[in-house]
Amino acid sequence: MFKAIVSAETLTSALDSVSVLVDECKIHLEEEGLEIRAVDPANVGMVDLSLEAAAFESYEADGGLIGVDLSRLEDIAGMADSGQLIQLELDEETRKLHIQIDGLEYTLALIDPDSIRQEPDIPELDLPARVVLEGKDVNRSVTAADMVSDHIALGVDEGEEFFYVDAEGDTDDVHLELTREDLIDLQVGPAHSLFSLDYLKDMNKAIPGDAEVTLDLGEEFPVKIYFGFAEGLGQVTYMLAPRIQSD
Amino acid sequence: MEFATFADRAAAIEAEPADLETVARVATLLEDAADGDGGRTVAVVARYVQGRVFPAWTSRTLDIGPSACYEAIARAAGTNVSPDDVEDRLAEVGEIGDVAASYDFGGQRGLSAFAGGDDSANGGGGLTVPEVDEALYELAAAEGSGSQDRKVDLLFGLFNRCSSDEARYLARLVLSEMRIGVGEGTVRNAIGEAFDVPVERVERALQVSNDYGEVARVAREDGREGLDAMTLEVGRPVQAMLAQAGTVTGALEDWDEAGVEWKYDGARVQLHYDPGGVAIDGADATVAADDAGEIRVFSRNMEDVTDALPEVVEFADEHLAEPAILDGEVVAVDDDGEPLPFQEVLKRFRRKHDVAKAREDVAVRPVFFDCLHADGEDLLEEPLTTRHERLEAVLREDSEREPDEVEGLSLLWRTDDPDEIERIDADALEAGHEGLMLKDPDSTYSPGRRGKHWRKRKPDVETLDCVVTGAEWGEGRRATFLGTFELSVRDGDGEKRRSAGSAVEPRNLETVGKVATGITDEKLAELTELLEPHVASEDGTRVELEPAVVFEVGYEEIQTSPTYSSGYALRFPRFVGVRSDKDPADADTVERLERLRG
Repeated sequence: MFKAIVSAETLTSALDSVSVLVDECKIHLEEEGLEIRAVDPANVGMVDLSLEAAAFESYEADGGLIGVDLSRLEDIAGMADSGQLIQLELDEETRKLHIQIDGLEYTLALIDPDSIRQEPDIPELDLPARVVLEGKDVNRSVTAADMVSDHIALGVDEGEEFFYVDAEGDTDDVHLELTREDLIDLQVGPAHSLFSLDYLKDMNKAIPGDAEVTLDLGEEFPVKIYFGFAEGLGQVTYMLAPRIQSD
Repeated sequence: MEFATFADRAAAIEAEPADLETVARVATLLEDAADGDGGRTVAVVARYVQGRVFPAWTSRTLDIGPSACYEAIARAAGTNVSPDDVEDRLAEVGEIGDVAASYDFGGQRGLSAFAGGDDSANGGGGLTVPEVDEALYELAAAEGSGSQDRKVDLLFGLFNRCSSDEARYLARLVLSEMRIGVGEGTVRNAIGEAFDVPVERVERALQVSNDYGEVARVAREDGREGLDAMTLEVGRPVQAMLAQAGTVTGALEDWDEAGVEWKYDGARVQLHYDPGGVAIDGADATVAADDAGEIRVFSRNMEDVTDALPEVVEFADEHLAEPAILDGEVVAVDDDGEPLPFQEVLKRFRRKHDVAKAREDVAVRPVFFDCLHADGEDLLEEPLTTRHERLEAVLREDSEREPDEVEGLSLLWRTDDPDEIERIDADALEAGHEGLMLKDPDSTYSPGRRGKHWRKRKPDVETLDCVVTGAEWGEGRRATFLGTFELSVRDGDGEKRRSAGSAVEPRNLETVGKVATGITDEKLAELTELLEPHVASEDGTRVELEPAVVFEVGYEEIQTSPTYSSGYALRFPRFVGVRSDKDPADADTVERLERLRG
């Protein structure tokens, strides 16, 4: 059983943060809220999303699992204006999701969850450095790095106590330093890893400029990027595996 | 089996110049690919060595272009390598396998390396043949918006785990450029050798299943008995049996009787019908459940053309009752049902969108001449006559109906009489079709083979320019037309007696045959108009003509004959056109007939 009413904005934010990595996903309809975990086909980037029941206008679920085509569902949610409410109801018999937006009724065929790629195990990482910054600073870093390279190095200078971004292109380089004053918080630790911008650019698309974003970093370790949405009732965690640095 | 092992073996096979050794190497590879997984790996390997990802019968494709592949390679190749760099290197090296092998992959680590599991997603280690197969199926299944990106992601994920050699063969496999010198015959023989089964049983199994992978799997798991138990499946296309060029004379020499059919100027189709639902390509099950239904139509290349040809679907709906696989042609027809040229049919085959509109422009009509399966029974090994009887039974809804009233049935005549064949030929041409098919009535159906059992009437190699020296008034609706034209050639000696200014004296012309074939009513009207002024005398319906008009005439053979004054007769003469640029003095001679006869 699943029946819920949610604001278009909240639903869209949730879907967008998953669809940057995968086309299809499984959604767990737990009593306490929605949960989605998915990994990209190359097993390099992962998303773990939760949206509490309290983020909904109304929410009833008893632990079901559905598979959805994200771009279809996003298209439907896109039919609503940002202030509008979207009603979702699962028809257990037909395995279809009935969606209502202000008189518009849409019946979405669901995907067999078994046909969707297995959900990832979430690595338990003990990452030594933590950087907390505004979403717009993440956006800025990624955009600047993308101008010169297809990779980005993220690290923390333990001595000088700042967070830095490096991107080396064939001809041009980008370097950005953010000190304690520029950041919301910084826990210093040994951290330097190289990441593919193909992935980070996509993840960045889902990061709101005004969000408080936390980056957990290590040396040659995955980065864990997490932020809240829907007034803190939703939480997105990305994890991205590093590239081995050639030099 | 590790994909690295496959790559090593592929390299050795590629380097092997001798055919027998190649078969032996492929056989060993197939034996070693038996991973205790029910033959799944064997099946994949049997396809991959031929550079095939999917069985021949499926219309599934990777649907990934070279540029997407270059992008995946670039991403796996390391920092700041762009798809353009890959293309530049390709231009230098000339072959995508070498390009892929020239990069150092594996720089991107996988998350599972940090999840406490093995580090299989990192570097070269551990990529297996089934894993590659799984990823390529997933890649093929990706569709809709953003699917090209997903395909690149998947391919990147594979390359990222490849060593140089693995990358070489992965790139070639993905772009259908395997080219390690392994053809279908090699794999067939290798399956026989590897699993100790007779090659002709392998061949038969291949014919019914159209899937080297499945045949290799069954050969390994269940041996010869398993292979013999493989059957056709309604919904899975069979390779079409093909015809070679031939002559009526040749056919009547080789067979007691010839099976004779009209040859349609259409495109080959195979109709699969099962009221209980046809077999469908497994992984497309989500689509197929609503869509596949009872009817599938395939082209000669085994492409699914069901949606492009609604007329054939409607035909099956209307006329078929039991499961069947029928072989036939679709012909394009105009509003009066008259056949249109082949190009018009092709337009319909290629049509993906606006089929209804295309159908208004050019309608098609199916005609079936063979039946490979009827009501649960495979008929490949039955003689043509039996298959045709089954075809008739399948198509005939009303047992009272004469064969020529059964819709969609191409008639099969059995005869040893050349005149009868000539009459059938004339009717076929009259109806606007191409000519004749000659078939051995006792022959079985051999998929994919171009053999001597089916022959299409050879097109005219040489034509003759003959003077029209006589004709007959027609009968019935053709009463006002001249037809059955008497043809003559010049007697070379007579040329010397030719007087200046005149054409040729009638006595210098010798008859060689009559042509009544290959002429439409419209054309007859034109010819009558052209010839009537030259009528010299009439005797009943017979007309003698002054030599004035030259016909270009095709024929099958030149024979000696007492019937005509030249001493020769044209076998199966056929009207090609009027040579308005030639005078009787330019017509061919008896000497040329002698030379052509050889």
